[in-house]
Amino acid sequence: MRRLAASLAVFGAAAVAFAFLLLPIVAIFARVPPGRLVDQFSSSVVTDALVVSLKTSALAQALILVLGTPAAYLLATRRFRGRAVAITLVELPLVLPPAVAGIGLIAAFGRFGLLGEALSALGVTLGLTQAAVVIAVAYVASPLYLRQAIAAFEAVDPDVVAAARTLGAGPARTFFRVVLPLARGGLAAGEALAFARGLGEFGATIMFAGSLQGVTQTLPLAIYQEFAVNFDVTLAMSALLVVVSAALLLALKVGLQWQPSRRTSRFLFAPSS
Amino acid sequence: MRRVALLALVLLAAAAGTAVAAGPPLTIFAAASLTDVFPQIDAKERYSFAGSNQLAAQIRQGLPVDVFASANVTLPDQLYAAGLCTKPVLFTGNTLVIVARKGNPDHLHGIFSLTEPGLKIVMAAKGVPVGDYTRTVLGKAALSDLVGKAVSQETDVREVLSKVALGEADVGFVYATDARTVQGQVAVFAIPPRFQPKVNYGACAVKASPNLAAAEAWVQRLRGAAAQSKLLAAGFLRPGR
Repeated sequence: MRRLAASLAVFGAAAVAFAFLLLPIVAIFARVPPGRLVDQFSSSVVTDALVVSLKTSALAQALILVLGTPAAYLLATRRFRGRAVAITLVELPLVLPPAVAGIGLIAAFGRFGLLGEALSALGVTLGLTQAAVVIAVAYVASPLYLRQAIAAFEAVDPDVVAAARTLGAGPARTFFRVVLPLARGGLAAGEALAFARGLGEFGATIMFAGSLQGVTQTLPLAIYQEFAVNFDVTLAMSALLVVVSAALLLALKVGLQWQPSRRTSRFLFAPSS
Repeated sequence: MRRVALLALVLLAAAAGTAVAAGPPLTIFAAASLTDVFPQIDAKERYSFAGSNQLAAQIRQGLPVDVFASANVTLPDQLYAAGLCTKPVLFTGNTLVIVARKGNPDHLHGIFSLTEPGLKIVMAAKGVPVGDYTRTVLGKAALSDLVGKAVSQETDVREVLSKVALGEADVGFVYATDARTVQGQVAVFAIPPRFQPKVNYGACAVKASPNLAAAEAWVQRLRGAAAQSKLLAAGFLRPGR
């Protein structure tokens, strides 16, 4: 009897947790009929925000991949003093409140910021421009990629790398032909996480980049602004972000489940399978 | 089930009874421009400050609010027409000013210097009261082109103010009372009276409020001598000029 009560309580708690997490998402789709939801996409606010979001995300993620991948590889493979501190510092923006990130970006890259004068001398003003959106997105999203990429590179068997080197592959060839393919699943998972976080970026963007339709107004900013204007449009954009986020989550799961090292060995030792 | 509901009601009534005696803090949704002055008028209540149109949308979506104080009369009038709040009461007024970066590095002088090319102008979005007033001013001054040249359309007046105060934007349109809160951090230019819109603030009690009587009394108190003297001291104007 007591065991039954206990298992009922556990089941009940699980049901509440499940319902709590899913209800807001279901509600977004349940509030208005899907047809009317789709109709909202003809609104220029939605299409402009979608274009701005995709463009800035693509640029920010390209920056993250190009700069973040070597950084993560370095942190994963080199042993040096202060490495743990460096890894922790790289992760810091991850736990920073977005508003603090926004203030930090203004204090660093704003016109009166640390680099403001140097940037002005080059004729560059970042605040309230599309470049500011890219910077804000890259800043808050990159730690997610870096963390996952460091783990992925650390998981690459150093013996395999050593073997490639002894077999005559140069460092670049080893990296691109051996390390990168082996770490690909983890890197993709990290990138999916970073993309999702970047797509949802709000606080740092609205503070550093402002909000202008077609220029700096990303989907989350448009959702915030349209909330006061047209709730249906807000729901439609929210629904869109739910779908995209769900797809990214799925990609993340697939990426993480992919075990390239096992595959490689299976291929090496049992080509028939 | 009915007994549970009844019990809940009794408990609720008891809680409400004791709370009324103690004076429950009201939840007051107020225009961002009232951020500094409302807590001076009454420090006991719970405030949420934002663009009035954001707050009105939240009230429409059923958030538990007792009082709505808007930077225009249109939004509370709409809620009143929808049966969501009591008849709005005009309680104060304001004027618009132009704020520029500290020290006026762009050598601006009033509204007609805003046509200078390359100037980073910020304003509030359409639908935000101060955004609508800004469009009225620009319309009257035959400068409506500037609306399309703004580098950012903000969601409330304090966002406009901080963009200029932090130096990210060159110039913005805010209320005279907002400019006073960052004295020394921005340069302020008056807008000639002939371009000024009629800025009146309307407040109403939200009908769904469980503290409707207290909410209505609070709205009426805004017109009282104590509240009016605080508002005037902060630079607000008598309502309904």
